[in-house]
Parts: sequence; C-alpha cells; structure tokens
Amino acid sequence: MITFKINDKEVQGEEGQYLIQVAEKYGIEIPTLCHHKALDPAGMCRICTVELFDGRRTKFVTACNYPIWEGMEIKTETEAVHQGRKLIVEMLYARCPEVPLLKKLAQQYKIETPRFKKEDDDCILCGLCVRMCERMGNSAINFTGRGINLRIDTSLGLQSDVCMACGACASVCPTGHITLEKIKKKFTKQNPFMIPSEYEMGLKGRKPVYVPYAQAVPNTPAIDRDVCMHFKTGGCGVCSDICQMDAIDYTMKDEIIELDAGAVILSPGFKPFDPSKFDNYGYANHPNVMTAMEFERILSASGPTSGHLVRMSDHKEPKKIAWFQCVGSRDMNKCDNKYCSSVCCMYALKEAVIAKEHAGDKLDCTIFYMDMRTHGKDFERYYNRAQDQGVRFVRSRVHTVEPLHDSDDLRITYVTDGGKKVDEIFDMIILSIGLEISPEVVDMAKKLGIELTDGNFAKTSTFKPVETSRKGIFVAGAFQGPKDIPQAVVDSSAAAGEAGAILAESRNTITKIPEIVPETNIIGDRPRIGVFICKCGTNIAGVVNVPEVRDYAATLPFVEYYSDNLYSCSQDTQTTMTQIIKANKLNRIVVAACTPKTHEPLFQETLINAGLNKYLFEMTNIRNHASWVHKDAPALATQKAKDLVRMAVAKVALMEPLKETELQVNQVAMVIGGGISGLSSAKTLAQQGYEVHVVEKDSVLGGQANHLYHTYKDENISVELASLIKDVKSNKNICLHLNTTLENVQGFVGNFKSELLDNHKVSKTLEHGVAIIATGARAFKPEEYLYGKDERIITSLDLDKKFLSKDASLKSIGSAVFIQCVGSREPNRPYCSRVCCTHSIDNALELKKINPEMDIFILYRDIRTYGEREYKYQQAREAGIIFIRYDLDHKPEVDIKNGKIFITVTDHVLGRPILIEADLLTLATAIVPNKDEKLANFFKVPLNEDGFFVERHAKLGPSEFATDGVFLCGLAHYPKPIDEAIAHGQAAASRAVTLLAKETVHTSGNVASVNSMACSSCGVCISICPYSAPSFATQGRFEGRAEINPVLCKGCGLCVASCRSGAIHLKGFDTNQIFAQIFAMNEAV
Amino acid sequence: MDEKNIKIVAFLCNWCSYGAADLAGVSRMQYPTDIRVIRIPCTGRLSPKFVLSAFREGADAIWVSG
Repeated sequence: MITFKINDKEVQGEEGQYLIQVAEKYGIEIPTLCHHKALDPAGMCRICTVELFDGRRTKFVTACNYPIWEGMEIKTETEAVHQGRKLIVEMLYARCPEVPLLKKLAQQYKIETPRFKKEDDDCILCGLCVRMCERMGNSAINFTGRGINLRIDTSLGLQSDVCMACGACASVCPTGHITLEKIKKKFTKQNPFMIPSEYEMGLKGRKPVYVPYAQAVPNTPAIDRDVCMHFKTGGCGVCSDICQMDAIDYTMKDEIIELDAGAVILSPGFKPFDPSKFDNYGYANHPNVMTAMEFERILSASGPTSGHLVRMSDHKEPKKIAWFQCVGSRDMNKCDNKYCSSVCCMYALKEAVIAKEHAGDKLDCTIFYMDMRTHGKDFERYYNRAQDQGVRFVRSRVHTVEPLHDSDDLRITYVTDGGKKVDEIFDMIILSIGLEISPEVVDMAKKLGIELTDGNFAKTSTFKPVETSRKGIFVAGAFQGPKDIPQAVVDSSAAAGEAGAILAESRNTITKIPEIVPETNIIGDRPRIGVFICKCGTNIAGVVNVPEVRDYAATLPFVEYYSDNLYSCSQDTQTTMTQIIKANKLNRIVVAACTPKTHEPLFQETLINAGLNKYLFEMTNIRNHASWVHKDAPALATQKAKDLVRMAVAKVALMEPLKETELQVNQVAMVIGGGISGLSSAKTLAQQGYEVHVVEKDSVLGGQANHLYHTYKDENISVELASLIKDVKSNKNICLHLNTTLENVQGFVGNFKSELLDNHKVSKTLEHGVAIIATGARAFKPEEYLYGKDERIITSLDLDKKFLSKDASLKSIGSAVFIQCVGSREPNRPYCSRVCCTHSIDNALELKKINPEMDIFILYRDIRTYGEREYKYQQAREAGIIFIRYDLDHKPEVDIKNGKIFITVTDHVLGRPILIEADLLTLATAIVPNKDEKLANFFKVPLNEDGFFVERHAKLGPSEFATDGVFLCGLAHYPKPIDEAIAHGQAAASRAVTLLAKETVHTSGNVASVNSMACSSCGVCISICPYSAPSFATQGRFEGRAEINPVLCKGCGLCVASCRSGAIHLKGFDTNQIFAQIFAMNEAV
Repeated sequence: MDEKNIKIVAFLCNWCSYGAADLAGVSRMQYPTDIRVIRIPCTGRLSPKFVLSAFREGADAIWVSG
C-alpha cells in the first residue's frame, strides 16, 4: 500500500496504480478526455494535469499516467491547475468549435470565444480510438501525418479488410469524429452490421456480451463468441479486466453432459413463421410491414421505443394500422402450413385493443381475417369488447401490399364480403404470423424416434394427450400443436404428472436433506443489528456512495456490525455473512441491496444457516429504488439510501422470531366428478401412489364422453373410455363412490373433511388433503329452430347417439343440415363452446361416409377448427360439404311444411336467401356449466358470469384455484374437447401432487394473530377476511373472541387495519414496525 | 436536499406496486429522489393512522398504491 495525500486528505493506493485511479476510488473528480479504464494511459489531452509537491518543489503532472509514490502531495483544484486546464480547453475548443462536449467544457471554464483561430475539426487527437483498436488486437487505424496534418486514418487512407467493423473506436470517441457511418465509408471493406437483439426481434441491437432479457433465468451475461472480438483476434479482454469477480473465462468449452433420466419431456416450443418469403406483403423490404411479434415489442414499455407507438420508418405515430391474419397458417398455397395456429386471432385482437389504449380512440385498427377464432375462455367477450371499442373487422384475405412512392405509407387492395374491390392506405401493416416447428426440432424428433403429424407437431393420441409415440417421452406446449399459454401450462403440468406416474417408485431416492442448524434463542436479548450494504458491482456503487452509507449505518442505534460487499448475493459472501453473524452474535440483520421480492429468501437462508430465525431480517432496496432510478443525482441517491437503511434498521430492531406452522398433508385426494377429466385425474394420482376417492353423483362413470361417438382423429371413444374406466376400477388406490353427492366440506389445505351422502341416504365422512373439482358441464337444450317439435330436428349429441346405435335410418337421408352456435356466442351466453365446429364437421364427414350422395350444409358464423383440426375442415370442403355463413342478426329460419323441414338462410356470397330442404337438422348446441354454487361455497372458490369455475390465474394457473389445496379440471373450467379435458385432469393431479409429495406444508410466519384480551368480539375481522381465517373461539377462556387460523391466513393485514380494538397484530408487518419506519423517515441526518 | 426538501411516503403493496417500482428500476426509468417506499403486504394493511402519522412526521404527500 502506498499512502499519500490528495488535497490534504490521506489516501491509499496500490503499487503500480496511476494517480487518476486512486482519485477515482476516493470520489475525487479529475477531468479527462483521453483516459479510459480499459486502456493504457497515454497522457494525450493534458486536461487531467494536477499539481504535485514532491517535498521540495511543485510541478505539474498528468494524473492519468503518473504512477503514485509514498508521501507525495497532490492538489487537484489549485488556481494554476485551473488556468492550465482552461488554456487546454480553449485551444481544443478553437480546434473543434462545433463539438458538443467541448462547447460544454468551454461553458464550464467560462470561455465565450476562444482567443485562437477557430477551425472546423471534430477530432481532438486523444487517441482513444487508436488505443482501442490496438486493444481489439487489430490496429487497423493509427495516427498518420505530421504536425498540423496529424490525423486518424487507416494505413494509406484506404478502406481495408483489416478493419473488422467492430465499432469499438466509435464507442470510445468523445467527440463524434468516428461514427459507424464513417467506419463503413472510410475504414472497412467489410459490412458493418448491428448485432440484432433476439429479445427485441431484431428491432434493436445488442452487445457481444449480453443478458438475453431483463427477466432471463439465469440472469447471467453470456458472450456471443461469433461476434466477440476476443474470439476473432485474441485481443480485447476488457470484460475480463473489468469483472471484479474474475468470472470470465474465455477458455470455457461447450460440454457434453450425460444424464440418467427415467422420462423425457419435450417442450422445445415453436418458431414464429418468417414472412420474408411472401414478397407480395413486402415484409423484407418495408420497415412499416412488421410481424405481430415485432409489434409486441413496440407496444412493450421495455421495448425499443419504450412503449411509444411509432412506426419504424420515420418514427411517426401511426393513424391507421391493419392486421393480416393467417400469415403462414391455413395456407397450402404459399407455404405448407395447412393448420390453424390457434393463437393469432386473439393476439391480433389484443394488440389492436392495446394499440388503441396507447394511441387513443382515434387510432384506426383494422383486422383482416378469414374466421375470427376466439374459442378460449373469456375470449369471445374480449372480441365483443374490441368491436365495441371500434376495432374494425374485415373478412377478407388481402393479396398485396404496395408501398407508396411519395410517403412511407402502404396501399392495400382487398375485396369485401359483398364482392366490392376496395383500395385503402395504412401507416403500418402487422402480419399475424403463425406458429411452426423449427427444422432443428424436427431433426431432434427424428433422433429421438418420435412420430410427427403432417404439421410437424409431435404425434399424440386423444386419450394420451401428452405422450409421444415413444414410451417415456412426453411432450408439452406448442410442439404438441399450436396453442396458447393456458393450454401450454396445462400440458406441461400434465406431462410432469405423467412422467411422475411412471417414475413413482423412484420418488425421493436421490433426494438430499440439508443439515438443520439449531436456532438460537434471542428472546429478551438486546438487538444487535448487522447492516450489510451491497455494491452490486457498480450497479449500486456506481451511483450511491456505498462507503458513506456504510459509515452512516454505523451511527444508527443497535448497529453492532456494518460492512459493504461487492456482491452480497454471491456464494462466498453468503458464507462470510454466516460467519460474521455467528462471530458478532448478531440477532437482527439488514441487507441494503436489491429487491426482497427475488433475494429475500436467499438471505433468509443465510440467517437460518447462522442459526437465526429467518424473520429477524429486513431488506431494503437501494438498487431498483435508488441507484438505478436516480443515476443523475448521486448525492440525493446516497441520501435516499441512507434514509432507507435508517428505516430498515428502525424496523428490524422490532422484529421478533416467528414460527411457521407445520401442517401435515393428508395423503388422500378427493376427485369430485367421474367424467373423463376426473377419471384421468384419479388415474394419474393413483399411479403416483396416492389414495384417491372419486365422488360421482351418477350411477355410471364417464360423464359426457358416454354420449360421444368418435374423436376428430377417428378414435373410438367408447372403447377408449371403457379402457380408462377399467384402469380406474382395477387400481387399488382408487375408491369409487357412485350415486354419491357431497353434502358438506370443512377444513383447509391438507386437512379437509367432506361429508358424502349416497343414494341410500347413508352418510360418511372422508378425510382428504386435496380436492379436485371435475364436475363437468352439460349440453344446452335449445328452444329455437323448432327443437323438440320434430324428431328429425336433433342436437349433435343425438346424432352421435344415432352413430353409436348404427341407426339404419341415416342411410336414407338425402339432405342434412347443421346449424352452428346454437346457444353459444349469443348475448346471454357470450362464449364459444369450442368443440362444436369440429364436432359438426366430423359428423358431416361421417354422414358422407354412410351416404356419399348426401347433400350436407353447415350453417356457421365462424368456423373454429383450431390447430390441426383445420385439416378436417379442408377435408369436409373437398368432400363437397357446403358451408354457408350467417350472422347473429340474420339467423337461419326453420319451418315445417307438409311434413318437410325447410331451412331459410341468406347466403353470404349470393347475398340472397336460399331455401334448403332437410331430412335431418342437427343443432350444434352450447356446452353449459352446472353452475354449482353449493360446491363453490364449500371450497370458497369463485364462479364466473357464465357459471364456470374461475381458476387461480387465467394464463399461469389454469388447473388450480386460489384456495390452497383445491384444483380444477375439465368442462367445469370451460368447454373443451376430450384430449384437452384429459390433459387438464392430468394437470390438476400433477398440481395436487406438488402438495401431496411435500407431506407437510409450512405456512408463512407473516400471519395475523389476535390479542384476545383486547378483542371486543365485534366480528369485523371475520366479515372482512377474504380467506375465512378469523373465527370466534368456541371454547376456552376466550370463547366468543376472535381467533385466527394461521393456516388460512395469507398475511394481507386487512383485519389488522380494520380492527377497532387494535387487538390484531400482523407478524412481520406489525403496527409498531411500520410506525418505526415512518418515524425514522424524517430523522435528522 | 438544499432547496426543496420534499418527502413523499409511498405505501406500496408487495404484490403489485412494489414489484412495479422494482421494474421501473430494471427499466432504468428516472424519477425524482423524493420518494421513500414502505413495503406493506397488501394495501388492506394500510391503516389511516399510518397516513396521518406520516403527515405529522412532515411528509408532503402520501402515495398509497396496490
């Protein structure tokens, strides 16, 4: 260590360091134009000149390249130094009067006009670019010429291959003399390109060292070896020099890791369709034609335009945007994707609605579509709302996009429903691109030996929806078929459940149990607080003065230990913290670092390892809430960090050790409903080794599947169903309760008690840890279209019945008509029943099989054969089935005259009513929920407006409820075909297993508790709690006073804030603790 | 803290607004330094007493978000 003085203050630096480095460490500012910490100093600009006193005399040295020595005395701000710097600035300013940096400096040194002759240069010859190029291992540019002709150039001033166009020189140029444009024109023969950010869909560049996106897991930067200069020249290595943790190792090689696995789950996802090959849309050539994925980034607050809706060509706010549906889907003409991508209608709708939210109502959003496919839960409502909000829908496939010559706008021509040709001009065109499987995935499938469908999706059967053709290999997500998030989440749970079923025997065989450190009793001890301030590399320390905050923490009451860490979350710091806590007998810990939302559990783990109760901890966020958001105000950010630390210290002093209630999970599951989804659920659970009770109110198992003929993949439903029922019946883990209803439910997660009543009025109590609701739905019985007036007017299920019984009368039918959306997508039932389009098309094809001469008409509103069901639609059209569209305002009319059925419908092509005589009229009726409010009350789970159960999260929690321990599957959730119902059943079982497998659950320590002495029995807490945690004690000394079940309590604190007697306390967020924070907020510093 | 000594106390719900404040950091959105965040488990936890006492302690504004 070398000790010397800067501005009379004693400082220390290491042997070999330069003066400027030590000054920087101590926050002493020395101006410089030519210094860069990644480069060797050159002393070019001389602005860093300081005054040195060597014991005898003073002299002037440049701080950037003057090595430090023991005992020297430096003054950085003397009048002489200032005058010297001013002269340098004046000369540079005269040389480059238009450079903003020098204008600013001149202002700073109060130079109005330089005394020297003004030139029009923009290079200050600092040489940063030359040194940087050298550092890159390249030396493509250098100083050339002499005296006043000295300049930066390539060898002989020629464009060369030597310059690799890496752009490093431009990145350090302080004046803007070197730009990417200049590199392109003057330096290199190579083609400089932006490294496209994958996350920003190429709309923005990224660096060779990058984190794919802010939320990436793991959130560790990676080096792109293809573009990194180090891997090209062996030079650079700046990242390795700068990394304070020595984490960068250029010699790392790709490794092949072999794993022993009992099952494999494939979830490689999809690739967005690339529309560049469609030259008629001009995507490749016009920046204002973009894909929906790119547009998502434009709408995103974290995107390239920070969520500001502008078009790419001129950053103008668009007035008119058009979406083209089915780009790369439902298309055999220009690409081979015959299937429907399932998700594009909904995302286009969403984008249109959000675009209008961003840009205001005046934005004209038009969606050009073939069929609007909003078949998901609550999607139809969204579609209706989008129409109300003014999104325009045009049923037409646009052929060509034509760029206008005089502007960046785009002209399109399309034909309306009425056959009229229309020209329209838009500011932006969004292509709703489909989903496809990448060639790499197809290749992987080949290697794995699994079969693929025509659309290159993994082939699965309806009854084994997540199992590939190879045993032990499962599939989840879009690789199984194009699907949206909830369906992909269902699949992934189902695949995990099915993999778990075949691996049930080996469960817990390679589990390691961590050693438990005994907890120190600190009750009654005076607080001994340890404060750890994190620098987070430079993330915090770059703005907040961490040493100052640390020293400030030392002055706070009860603080016994304080330190700062480079990275508090690193493994070695954690170990050190454990030792420090033990050595200093600390009993409360404050970590001032990043967000508790991600890092609290990590530090709590450290406390546990140090023998402290994990609730004796408070974390305060000086990164996300200070350094990152106040980067231009370091002093104020430091002040804020101090305040936050003081508030945290005040709170933590009042923290007490909290207990987490341990709860045994009864290893029994109850499945309510013996339909196909419930049975699948029961089967998966039983295979995983759990006892399952299936409660079915009917006398038979199978539910609605009993009425169905075959699947769209031509599988025989009754055969498959019988096999499932056989499996269920023969499994010794499954107990069936037929003709049984659920009369009452008590208890909570892990410990439910349900009362079952059978048809002999015998009641029994079932104790179970989890419940799965699979109560299904039923077919709607219509009152319109003369249903029930004639035996030839039937529902889809009636037709299936005829197929099942091989009804001979079907052969003699000459003309059959199907009417779609009977009871669905109506004002009083605004949802799509999802299955009916495929079902009717399937049945129509079946009729064609029976009698190829039969005339078949399907009267529809939108055909919603999503995914590979689309093939059936194509097949039906090829088979001569006639599709006639109607709309809600012009529904078909059914009449019976002289014993004959006549249907009148207005044809959408002819625009005129046509009359069809039918021998058979099939009504594709809606699926309606059972709306079981009693059951909903038993488990405190909600029903939506339509009467379907509401899952925990529409996208991420489709198979469980917000109520712990209660799960959901099948039609009770929303109408769905058999494959999806089975996957949903398996998914619910899989989610239930995550709870059952734990055997015990720990509730949080942050729960409310009642001081019974103060309780006035007013009952407000009981009425207000959304989780039914408080109740009146029914026995004991405090009978009639409130008590709170810590198992049910979610720690929201609603009751605490509402308690008029102040009798309820929320552990970890108690009133005195929050007050302590408030009081500490304004303490004088 | 020379000229204006404004203090805004923000009571933020752990599940939404506190996360949003974190995200503002991740997105490097810049805003004035006057806010002091107090994390609460849910805005349901917020007692009017907290608001009053923060005012009494000299807060210029209180922001409750959840």
